[in-house]
Amino acid sequence: MNREKENLEELFEKFVDSTQAAKLAEDISEGERILRQYSAVEPRDGLRREIKAKIMDTLQRNKKGFKRFAVKVAAVAAGFIILAAVLETLFEKGLYEDKKVVYASILPEKIWESDDIIRDDADLAILLAEVKEIEEDALAVRLNENGGNGHSEVEELEMELIEINSEFWKG
Amino acid sequence: MSIDLAKIIAGCKRKEAESFSLLVDIYSGRLFGYFYRLTGKRQVSEDLLSELFVKLVEQIKSFRGGSFESWLFKIARNIFRDYLRAKQRYGKLLDEKKKRIEENTVEAKTTETDRFDKLQIQLDKLDADTRELIMLRFYSQLSFKEMSQMRGEPIGTVLSKVHRGLKKLRELMEQ
Repeated sequence: MNREKENLEELFEKFVDSTQAAKLAEDISEGERILRQYSAVEPRDGLRREIKAKIMDTLQRNKKGFKRFAVKVAAVAAGFIILAAVLETLFEKGLYEDKKVVYASILPEKIWESDDIIRDDADLAILLAEVKEIEEDALAVRLNENGGNGHSEVEELEMELIEINSEFWKG
Repeated sequence: MSIDLAKIIAGCKRKEAESFSLLVDIYSGRLFGYFYRLTGKRQVSEDLLSELFVKLVEQIKSFRGGSFESWLFKIARNIFRDYLRAKQRYGKLLDEKKKRIEENTVEAKTTETDRFDKLQIQLDKLDADTRELIMLRFYSQLSFKEMSQMRGEPIGTVLSKVHRGLKKLRELMEQ
């Protein structure tokens, strides 16, 4: 219900009897009549004009603010597109996979890929030669090819193994 | 809401300066009166009125129909309450001596310039809530039902407060 259609007496009758309601409605009407007598407080000349100018400023600032926001959004979007393009190029070239293989490998790549250990690592070749020599000595002991001098031959083999062991751990 | 007002509000929602200009012409008098009767100070009322129209520009999109006056005066009421809170905070910052000096100065100024009518003097004798309610009723032109909805109070409470306040004001004015 808006103000024009409002019936004060009917409104008050919901709470008090009709006689009282009429009195209360009259009190309100009388009070509002006094307010109307003193209601001539007007804003000074020029205030409306100043407010309208402020409204214009606010509207223009909001428009600029929206433009700035749009530019920022566009810049961020462009950044994402460039980043996506760079990542796509990197994945296509497979740089990431190559690096993973390099870092995961403990041995030099050429040794990993070579079957010729003697050429690739001299120390390893010496060790292998000594192992081979021991194997031959051990075989000779087993076959008793040393002319019955088996005991000293076994001691000699044992000494040689100790020596190789100490040399090996020295590096 | 009249068709003309609906058109003006639609223009405001499209951010048309002319539409806001029309709202200033239609409502600035009533809103100024509302602020002035509550604060008793012309300069403060002008500041609050400017603040209200700037807020109106920013918030017009949130108006979803219904009574425009009710929506507009709700913003006005909130602005006035913010002003009161700021004033109270400022008051607490001052020590007693400074406070006394300021009050004396303000009193002198208002006596000279602002309190030029009897109504303003008598209104100041009412409690703040009743004064606000009476001014809301008078300047917003809202019905009691709309006022009770705005304030979140039963209609009987609003009727009773306005009646009591106006009766008291009438007695004060007749003294």
